[in-house]
Amino acid sequence: MKRILIVFQKELIDNLRDRRTLLTAVLTPLMGPVLLAIILTLQVQMLTEDTERPLAIPIVGANYAPGLVQFLQQAGIKTLPAPRDPKEVVRSGAYEVVLVIPPDYPEQFRAGRPATVQLVVDKARQSARPEISRTENLLSAYARQITALRLLARGVDPGLINPVTIETEDVATAQGRAAFILGTMPYFIIFSVFLGGLYVAIDTTTGERERGSLEPLVINPVARWQLVAGKLLTTLLFTLVGAAETIVALALLLRLVPIERLGLELSLTLGNFLTMYLLIVPVALIASASQMVVATFTRSFKEAQNYVTPLILIPTLPGIFLGFITIKGELWQMLIPVFGQQILINQLIRGEVLSWSAVLPNALSTLAVGMALTWGAMRLFERAEIVAGR
Amino acid sequence: MLEVKDLQKRFKNIPAVSGVSFQAPNGLITGLLGPNGAGKTTTLRILYTVLKPDSGTALVDGYDVCTQTLAVQARLGVLPDSRGLYPRLTARENIRYYGRLHDLSGLALEHEIENLVKLLDMQEFIDRRTEGFSQGQRLKVALGRALVHRPQNILLDEPTNGLDVMSTRALRGLIGRLREEGKCVLFSSHVMQEVAALCDQIVIIAHGQVVAQGTPEALKAQTGQSNLEDAFVRVIGSEEGLEK
Repeated sequence: MKRILIVFQKELIDNLRDRRTLLTAVLTPLMGPVLLAIILTLQVQMLTEDTERPLAIPIVGANYAPGLVQFLQQAGIKTLPAPRDPKEVVRSGAYEVVLVIPPDYPEQFRAGRPATVQLVVDKARQSARPEISRTENLLSAYARQITALRLLARGVDPGLINPVTIETEDVATAQGRAAFILGTMPYFIIFSVFLGGLYVAIDTTTGERERGSLEPLVINPVARWQLVAGKLLTTLLFTLVGAAETIVALALLLRLVPIERLGLELSLTLGNFLTMYLLIVPVALIASASQMVVATFTRSFKEAQNYVTPLILIPTLPGIFLGFITIKGELWQMLIPVFGQQILINQLIRGEVLSWSAVLPNALSTLAVGMALTWGAMRLFERAEIVAGR
Repeated sequence: MLEVKDLQKRFKNIPAVSGVSFQAPNGLITGLLGPNGAGKTTTLRILYTVLKPDSGTALVDGYDVCTQTLAVQARLGVLPDSRGLYPRLTARENIRYYGRLHDLSGLALEHEIENLVKLLDMQEFIDRRTEGFSQGQRLKVALGRALVHRPQNILLDEPTNGLDVMSTRALRGLIGRLREEGKCVLFSSHVMQEVAALCDQIVIIAHGQVVAQGTPEALKAQTGQSNLEDAFVRVIGSEEGLEK
């Protein structure tokens, strides 16, 4: 144990003095949260602009439909006098929407026949979409109101014409996007676990061999597995610090960005974040050990980087899919390391209570795989070619 | 005290060492001499436990290099073929790390490092990071960390490679001093003159086999040559390894 600590201590000091290692370890775990913060802030701003910008609609023939105009005004629309050429003002972008009420509107309306109104819009213009749909929605609402009144006047329950009520959750809205974005949080956490110790894992194995210091090192009276253990502990420490950084940054982010403005309720407590971290600890072992295994049998620092970088992606892929589909935490899913943790973190984010029957199998299977990888790294170090080259 | 008994080692069916045997007693300097690729480094690597022989054994102070690895390692001080330092650690930290791995600590360790600093004349650079050190400085640090635990047996693989005259002289002085302390010193070289200048006994290796061994006088007598150079050429059958 003492020798393991000597190796650990040396590798820690050595790697703390390496600017590249330090920058990777300190900065990369913050990248995800910072990216999230930027995107969410932009979403909040966009949403605020959308709803708070007063909508002004020029109306042609406003005098034909005073009821409709009044309805629109009550809904917060600023009605403007008719422009000379409705199509021209829309095409030029001066106005997003022009409402045209034809002269036969009052007659049709009074007779109870469908009365046509015309919206002049430019659907090709992306920025006009919120205004257009808002106007359309208001017109439909007005139509529904009139329908209900007419049915009531004839003694019919207005509910009859609504056999099915549709509630649409539009995921294309800023709110939906924000929820989607927050759903990527587990992904960022896992990502940082696989990044924090990356350089340390490479530096202490293939890096050490490349510098020619591995051969003299193994001549010291220290068992190879103890060397591996010391190096793995260093990698593990960097990994755990990286994960802690990401989670703290995410916690701060959710405090600072007013996500409630996006209609999101995310009441994650300090305890929730702590739970997230504890869930991740076994993953840190898998990340560190697998990186050491791969880096040990590569021949150079560069080669190790080439192999270890895709290694980050494999376990994080399910996290990306989790952003699209909701998966219930079934036992077999819990037994898959990394994937299980992502499901559990998502459950935490959704405010669900985690059950031990899910957490325990997940942690145990992850630890088992981590131990197996650790054992593999130790076995690999026993091989003569690892030290002496070929 | 080193005993090498009939070592055999192949790499992908190419024999590197085929039946090397010799002894290196305490208080003597033994030179392992042979042309490049003769099997010197492979023999040393087996002795310092990095390679396992296919057959045969090697003993260090009576401990088997294959089965009693840790005991062997504790009794060895090695300057191996690759002698990389940790560039982000100072020379002192490099040596201290090895000392600690040999169970030294505290004042005893610091005292030992100070001794080495004087012995190897490292005052100027001992507290600098080793990045950018000259060959001579690197060799001194590598020697320092090999000797920090006062090993009884010292293995040096081509120690003078890439050294200037001053560093070579300093190294010779050190090797002589180790002999006076009764240590067992084994060093390999492909340069005949160097071995002749230093060694009490010489083991000549060619093509993975010991072709001659003994004191310089015995070698001359054995080959019927009047100088060592001719004796060397005679036993290896070529002029490889002679400095012109």
